[in-house]
Formats: sequence, C-alpha cells, structure tokens
Amino acid sequence: MAVPINDATLATAAPPLPSLVDARHLRTQRVGRALRLWVPAGILILLLGICFVLPLIVTLPSSTSGNIIYNNEAPFSPGHWLGTNVQGVDIFSQLVYGGQVAFEISISVTVIGMAIGCTLGVTAAYFGGWVDAVISRVLDILIAFPALVLALVIAEGLGPSETHVIWALSVFSIPAFGRIARGGTLTVRGLPYITAARLSGTRAWRTIARHIMPNILPSIVTFSLLGIGVTIILEGALDFLGYGIPTPEASWGSMIAAGQQVLTAQPEYVLIPSIVLLITVVALNTLGDALRERWGVQ
Amino acid sequence: MSEALLEVRDLRVAFAAGGREIRAVDGVSYQVEAGRTLAIIGESGSGKTVGCRAIMGLLPDTARISGSAQLRGTEMIGLTDGQLRKHRGQDMAMVFQDPARSLNPTMRVGTQITEAIRTHRKVSKSEAGAQAIELLRLVRIPAAERRFHEYPHQLSGGMRQRIMIAMALACRPRLLIADEATTALDVTTQAQIMELLLELQAELGMALILISHDLGLAASYADEVVVMYAGKIVEQAPASRLFGTGGTVKMRYTRALLDAIPHIERPAHAELPVVGGRPPDLSVLRAGCSFAPRCPAAADDCKEKEPALAEHAAGHRWACWHPCENGVSA
Repeated sequence: MAVPINDATLATAAPPLPSLVDARHLRTQRVGRALRLWVPAGILILLLGICFVLPLIVTLPSSTSGNIIYNNEAPFSPGHWLGTNVQGVDIFSQLVYGGQVAFEISISVTVIGMAIGCTLGVTAAYFGGWVDAVISRVLDILIAFPALVLALVIAEGLGPSETHVIWALSVFSIPAFGRIARGGTLTVRGLPYITAARLSGTRAWRTIARHIMPNILPSIVTFSLLGIGVTIILEGALDFLGYGIPTPEASWGSMIAAGQQVLTAQPEYVLIPSIVLLITVVALNTLGDALRERWGVQ
Repeated sequence: MSEALLEVRDLRVAFAAGGREIRAVDGVSYQVEAGRTLAIIGESGSGKTVGCRAIMGLLPDTARISGSAQLRGTEMIGLTDGQLRKHRGQDMAMVFQDPARSLNPTMRVGTQITEAIRTHRKVSKSEAGAQAIELLRLVRIPAAERRFHEYPHQLSGGMRQRIMIAMALACRPRLLIADEATTALDVTTQAQIMELLLELQAELGMALILISHDLGLAASYADEVVVMYAGKIVEQAPASRLFGTGGTVKMRYTRALLDAIPHIERPAHAELPVVGGRPPDLSVLRAGCSFAPRCPAAADDCKEKEPALAEHAAGHRWACWHPCENGVSA
C-alpha cells in the first residue's frame, strides 16, 4: 500500500555540472579555513614541544641560578641564545621552564574546572528544581568575587607553591565551566530527542552521557581553550605579584616582574617573556575561534 | 468494550501559572482498542497534547494530574519515572512533530535505534544491530544497511520521521501515540508516513492515537474521532459517522472546523470561512459553554449552563445545547 520512496542518492550519478562559483574563490576559502586552524595549532604544538621535549634532548643551562660573571649578556651570545639576566641566569632556560609551569598550571586548572564545573552545571540543568537553585547560587557567589583578588587571598592563605596556585585559580574556572555546561544542557534538554530518549525508557545518567554530553562538548572544548589562555595570564599576574611560583623557580610572571626593575635600561627582560605570553594566549584564542567556526558553536 | 487497551477516565491536568490555575485538560474520557485508530483533534492549546503527555508521564512536576488512565488494566497516572520506565517503549511509545530535532545529531541513526532496543531487551550489540536493520526495513527505508551508519543530517525529513517511527517501534509497543507526526512534512510524504503507520498498525496489532489539528487526516485514517476544545471533549463519534457523504456533525465547533477546510470546488478568490474569535483563556473559569463566545448559534442558555457530553445517538456523543440539524451549518 505504501508508495516506495526513491532514494535519489542511490541512482547512478549524473556527470557533474560546471561550477557556478569561481574555483579560485573556493580555493582561497578552503586555504583560509585551514590556515585559521593550523597556524595557531602549529604555534601551540611548537611551544609545547620547546617547553616539554626540547629540555629532554638538549642540555639547557640552569634556569634557577647562573654565574654572575656572565650576567647581562645580550641575546644571541654564545651558550645563551637569548642572553642572561642581571644574575647571569639564562633567559631561554627561564622561558622554557617557566613555560612548563604555565602550561602545567593552566591545563590542570582547566581540566579541574571542566570536570567539576561540567558535573555541577549538567546536574543542575538536567534535574532542575532545588538542585539547580542550590548549585546555581553557589556558582553565582563564586563568580561575583573579583577573580584575581580571590586567587590572591587563597594563594596567600595556602602559601606559594604550584599546587596551591592550581587550586586558587580553579576556584574561578569551576563556576565558568559550570555556567557554560548549564546553559548548554538547558538548550539541549528541551529538544525532542531527549524526550524521545526518556520515552524509550533510558536512565538519567545514560541520557546525560549519550545524548547531552556529546552535544555540549564542542562549546566546552572551545571555551576550555579560551580558559587556558586566561589562566596563563592570571598565573602570570600571581607570579608578578609574588604569590605564585616560589623563587628561584622560573615563571613568565616573575621574569616580567624582575625585568620591570630595569625596564628603561634593558627593556628586553620585560619584552621577551611578554611577547612569548602574548603569542601563546593569542594562539589559544584563535584556535578556539577556528574550532568554534568549524563546529558552529555560538 | 472490556478489551480496551487504553482507557482514560475523567483525566484532568492543571498548571499553576502567575497565581492562577490553568486547566489544560478538564475531564476527558476515551478509550482505544488494540488495532484501532483514534484521532484527537483540536486547535493549539485545546489540551490534546497535554492529555497524552500526562498519560506518558512526560509532564513537569508542576502539573497537577487527576483521573485515571489504564493501559491494559495498569494505572498509569501517579507512577514514578522509575515505574514508568518499564512501560515506556514496551507498552507505549510516541512519535513527535519535529523530525529535525527528534534525533540526536551526534549519533548515527543505527546506534540510536540499537540503544532503544537494548534499553529493554538483554540482547548483544550485534543482535540488536541486526534487529535495528530489520526495523529500518520495516519502515521502508531503502538501503537500510547503509542508512544504519548515517547521521540524522544526512537524511531527509520524511526519512528522519521513518527513523523516529522505527525507534518508537523498537520494542513493539502496544500503543503508539503520533503527536502531529506528519505536520512538519510535505503532503506527499505525509501520505506515505500515514500509510506506513496504518500498515504497521495492522502488522503489529497496535492501537494508534493520532493527535492533530487536521480534520482531513482524521477523516482519512481514523476509526474514531475525538474533538477537543478548551480542554474538554466536545464531540466524539466514529469517523464514518462524522465525515463523508451522509456525515452528521452535531457540535458547532466541529462544523466550523470542517467549513474552514478549503475545497477545490469553491469559487476562486472567495473568502475562506474561518472560526471567528480566539480560543478562550483557560485561566478564567466561566459558566456556560466554552465555545459560546465564538459560536454562531449561541443563545442565552449557552452562556449560563455548560452542556454535558452525552451520547445522543449510538456511538455519537456531543456537548451542545443547539446542535446542527443534519450536520449542516446554521
């Protein structure tokens, strides 16, 4: 009785029609799209490689102490690619080990924020009611605090160390992820396929894992890249103010703080770590934007 | 009558909104037997969807539900989500209006059907997969093995609706509710999907409830028709009695809906008859017939006393003080 439906795609393919759009225009678009993704991704891979792989291959000068005899060497001096600072410590080594710290902290903070924040946000939005009210108010209170001040108070209270910086910064990555996850879940939860899953008798945790998480993941991954950038800057700020990584351990923030004392005489001590910080954060943001463009996330 | 698969008695659903009570469904009773099709017709906000969602346990906690809905003798109203899970999919299933958003865009359609099967049956993944392909064939999807591995965005609206039906049928439910299941589709696809639903109904012996605003759909495919207005049933009769030659529509709202259907024989550019006025505000409870403000035959008694739904002729119930004579408009 039913009319058989024709599957158009199954029919033998007709010869392709001549394109209406200029081929060069299409190629430019495709190349631009690829560049927007792979240039920042390449920069980040390079930075991560320099920070984590290079020290394993090449023996770098110490990043914590140096010989005062070789102090204030200009960039491109023999043995010191980017020169040395006032104490004679190698600047390139400081950048590499400072970068390790920056990436370790920012990635840990983002992973902690993502894990705890998403759990809270998804739970709040999925179950609604008083669960949502309680979780949302807690997140609101955390967001209402000025981030850096709160991080300073926590870092001050716990004392300077890498782990303590991670916890201090997580305090505001958690509510940020919580909000993103809650908003995403609220949108997805209202869609008919969630009702359909409920109707076929799927349990709540399974609905969350199979139907909600995959659909909010793109926005969370995009946001986490921006979050890593923000965390690197905040970590730098904590170091700059002396509440971050304890000296003499290298960090980008403390390099800038030290260089600031001789800013007029030797601006490169501030400029070099600042430029590296800038490149890292811009690469993270543009990569986030490129992924957002590809995945159609708002 | 005793073999009714679903028996709904005096179902009422109310919501509290802005300090006022909104009666979305107000004392609705009907029943469906296995293998039969019931069409619930009404305009937006008449309570047709809310009533069915109440039976499926899909309404938010804020809804106040009373009355009874027995599915094969088991009371459905008042069951918890956990208790309902046993019945959902196996005893009753639902197909929605919007095929574009009724499938998870991040999952292959085959996986979605396979999971629907595995929620209720302890079968291996490969066996469930084979059953899923069988279901795709059942809903007449060409090249089922290939479609199994595709994502929803690769399919057309009609195909997606077929997938939805396949998912709903995954556990051979005894009752299928199609909530405006063909509204979002174009007319030819709509006809194909309806034919398919009726064929599957005959094959599986399901009871089918069609929720629609389309009287034409009810006339062509339903055995029994229920017309709802403002949360109440205003007319109920076998489709053959209401429509076609010799049809006798009694309630004036049904009449007005029928008259509003455009006919090809009508002179071109003539004004299309419409049901004047707007649906009533359900938060304001007033005496009298709820259709009275829009009814061409409304008299004083209509505004004072509400007509009860009563069986005036065999199998034909209506609620009206001044029914149409011989089904003709006044």
